[in-house]
Amino acid sequence: MVITGASEKVALQSLKASDWHLEGAFDVFYSQPQVAVTNCRHLEELYNRYKEQDADMIMVEGISQLCEDLQVDPQDIVMLVISWHMKASTMCEFSHEEFIGGLQSIGVDSIEKLCEKLPSLRAELKDDQKFREIYNFAFTWAKEKGQKSLSLETAIGMWQLLFAERHWPLIDYWCQFLQVRHNKAISRDTWSQLLEFVKTIDPQLTNYDEEGAWPYLIDEFVEYLIENGVVQRSK
Amino acid sequence: MSGGGPPRKRNFKIEEFKNRVELDPKYAERTWKVLEHAIHEIYNHNASGLSFEELYRSAYNMVLHKYGEKLYGGLESTMTRRLKEISRSIEAAQGGLFLEELNTKWMDHNKALQMIRDILMYMDRTYVRSSHRTPVHELGLNLWRDHIIHSPMIHSRLLDTLLDLIHRERMGEVINRGLMRSITKMLMDLGPAVYQDDFEKPFLEVSASFYSGESQEFIECCDCGNYLKKSERRLNEEMDRVSHYLDAGSEAKITSAVEKEMIANHMHRLVHMENSGLVNMLIDDKYDDLARMYNLFRRVTDGLLTIRNLMTSYLRETGKQLVTDPEKLKDPVEFVQRLLNEKDKHDKIINVAFGNDKTFQNALNSSFEYFINLNNRSPEFISLYVDDKLRKGLKGATEEDVEVILDKVMMLFRYLQEKDVFEKYYKQHLAKRLLSGKTVSDDAERSMIVKLKTECGYQFTSKLEGMFTDMKTSQDTMQDFYAKKSEELGDGPTLDVHILTTGSWPTQPCPPCNLPPEILTICDKFRSYYLGTHSGRRLTWQTNMGTADIKATFGKGQKHELNVSTYQMCVLMLFNSTDGLTYKDIEQYTEIPASDLKRCLQSLACVKGKNVLRKEPMSKDISEDDTFYFNDKFTSKLVKVKIGTVVAQKESEPEKQETRQRVEEDRKPQIEAAIVRIMKSRRVLDHNSIVAEVTKQLQARFLPNPVVIKKRIESLIEREFLERDKTDRKLYRYLA
Repeated sequence: MVITGASEKVALQSLKASDWHLEGAFDVFYSQPQVAVTNCRHLEELYNRYKEQDADMIMVEGISQLCEDLQVDPQDIVMLVISWHMKASTMCEFSHEEFIGGLQSIGVDSIEKLCEKLPSLRAELKDDQKFREIYNFAFTWAKEKGQKSLSLETAIGMWQLLFAERHWPLIDYWCQFLQVRHNKAISRDTWSQLLEFVKTIDPQLTNYDEEGAWPYLIDEFVEYLIENGVVQRSK
Repeated sequence: MSGGGPPRKRNFKIEEFKNRVELDPKYAERTWKVLEHAIHEIYNHNASGLSFEELYRSAYNMVLHKYGEKLYGGLESTMTRRLKEISRSIEAAQGGLFLEELNTKWMDHNKALQMIRDILMYMDRTYVRSSHRTPVHELGLNLWRDHIIHSPMIHSRLLDTLLDLIHRERMGEVINRGLMRSITKMLMDLGPAVYQDDFEKPFLEVSASFYSGESQEFIECCDCGNYLKKSERRLNEEMDRVSHYLDAGSEAKITSAVEKEMIANHMHRLVHMENSGLVNMLIDDKYDDLARMYNLFRRVTDGLLTIRNLMTSYLRETGKQLVTDPEKLKDPVEFVQRLLNEKDKHDKIINVAFGNDKTFQNALNSSFEYFINLNNRSPEFISLYVDDKLRKGLKGATEEDVEVILDKVMMLFRYLQEKDVFEKYYKQHLAKRLLSGKTVSDDAERSMIVKLKTECGYQFTSKLEGMFTDMKTSQDTMQDFYAKKSEELGDGPTLDVHILTTGSWPTQPCPPCNLPPEILTICDKFRSYYLGTHSGRRLTWQTNMGTADIKATFGKGQKHELNVSTYQMCVLMLFNSTDGLTYKDIEQYTEIPASDLKRCLQSLACVKGKNVLRKEPMSKDISEDDTFYFNDKFTSKLVKVKIGTVVAQKESEPEKQETRQRVEEDRKPQIEAAIVRIMKSRRVLDHNSIVAEVTKQLQARFLPNPVVIKKRIESLIEREFLERDKTDRKLYRYLA
């Protein structure tokens, strides 16, 4: 482990595969297709740099520091992508496991390496499938622990962030509509169905179907758009 | 001759006549001549001089000796010649005698034919059959047809004469019907084809154009009722005509021609006729005209449909006006009475004039259902109507009368789409009736509950029945209370408590106000008595629902008994210790909620004839700076003065909003329960099907709004009862 920088698990695997011969184990290890090699010790060091003094968590301060080190804005969407890799349960907090596991799955063990990875992390948002996963992840991550719904303010912030990556011409109307007409928290169903709406219905709403079992909030949004002359009623 | 031996066979032989009787041709000719002569004589009405036997034998012989063809041919030519003569004599007849002559000659011919046929019967049976010739009688008819009826001179003249006579009869003249009958019968005898081609077809054509013209004339100058009368008369005339002198088979054809020309072609114009059409008949209850219209229109395709459609649209229009006219909505009881009257009126019309036709009944029902639900206060108003009846309207009515009225109300109830709104109001109104003791008849009340139960099921009425039970139990409790505690209570005020089971009654939670000490004492005594026998229960005084009877003495010593609400009692009792109090004082001492207090003070100080309190300043409204004084100068003609009434009234706008909101809130769990029930059994279902199923399940109570259903579905998704299908977002799954 010290030499290869492999994790305990991988080390054990390699040893088993080579019948507990050390040299054979090295062969196994280096011949396996590795995505990346991460050094456990480095990761621990990294974690300790950011973790809270009296808790086994990375909290706001640590995250700020991390962002500074990475030279990214804390509001930068790449932080969301990173959090997604970490499977973070809530924003502004990383548990020990989440942090280590996340960085391992990204395949980095140092700030420099993470910095190098930033562009490719950003690029993940361009992938349809990954975008959807990240989008849906964002709901759970952004809401308060113990709450079922996402507060409107946070939701709007997240949406604006996300739809900057994947352009939706109606995003501003949507946010406006919510503030004027709804003013309440957003349910998970509404959140996830909105992405479907964005993906399948064109901005002029020509293929919007009233019987389409869209959440009522989206139906009301369509009404709002028609009332304000943004789109024509299709009938 | 010896007789001893065996009998000898003798050969019998039958030999032909050795002498053949030959009929020589001359003999055949002679025989024919005899027969020919006979035929002529028959036609000349000289048949009596003939010997049937001889003639028959002659004919027989001819046929026997193979002269059948000669005989037949002779018959044919003789008859033809004869008929040609007859034809000329008929043609010669002048004017009216033409038909008679034809008829007479026809009778003669028939008689002659009869006799001739009898004479030639052997030929008919043998020669005719074997040589496949037309039998004699038929031959006679065919010859008549060909040489008389179809003779160029007679043919058209016959038809014209017949049609002319019919036309004249239609125009009012009297004609010889017997003669007509005879002629048409003749045509029928000659064969249905003759009757149809030579008479019936042209007859129908001429009739059609006649009636087309007449209907045009009538419709320009007659109103609907008169037109229909005339049409009916014409129809009856034609049927009469057929029965008297046409073939029965013509009836259907001529009546359908009349129906088409007079009714079918003018249907729309008739029903829509201004000032006399269907709508006017309905408005003016013109039963005869309506019945006539129904019977006539029934005969033509879409006739009844035309009537029904117009009636439906008329009902919907008038109904809509009735339920949206603010004038008519001012008094709910009158409004409902109007609805009932309209229903009665049209029921009667359908019964008397339309023969209780079910399709019309259905049209009536659907129209009522349509417009009653246009006004969302209908449930409230119908409940108020029932309230009025049960409170005073049915006073003195017999049991049957009561049943009749309640049944009629139930008919209106069935049309309501929002039965749950009705339930809410009915509960409120019933509570007020029960608590104020203002119901005319207990039996009538119960009868109404039974009807509602039959219509809507046990759930609808279980709480209502609970209210009745509470009343009864309270009575028993009070009796027991006084029986047990009378010495302890002594001279204090008399208490009458109604113990209401929460949940059955439409009570709103309200904090009790401060009761006067005397009242408080007895109330506490009752509370301890009650809780003594019913431990574990909790009693809350509903001071916003009670009443009190107070004896008051005024300035000049007049004594009155005031019937007031509990709140009013609390206020008035304060004036036992002081003459004047400010609003704020009263508020502080009684702790009655502000809006209730204002209303209470208003009815005590600002209503003429009931102003037991005097207010300064004397303004109409209660303000927080007012001061109140006991009104020494109060007078009333009545000894008992009612001030606090808890009568059910049409709700004010804000109250209405509140009730509607409560109804909407109540509907949410019902919708959710329906969704869960459906999904539990179906497991996976698409959105539109859920909406349809939920609507179906709940329609006995109310019509759920699809948007509300959608919101409930989303709420259930949130609470993880349901989820969307991963691949088809329009499908939902039930999560166990």
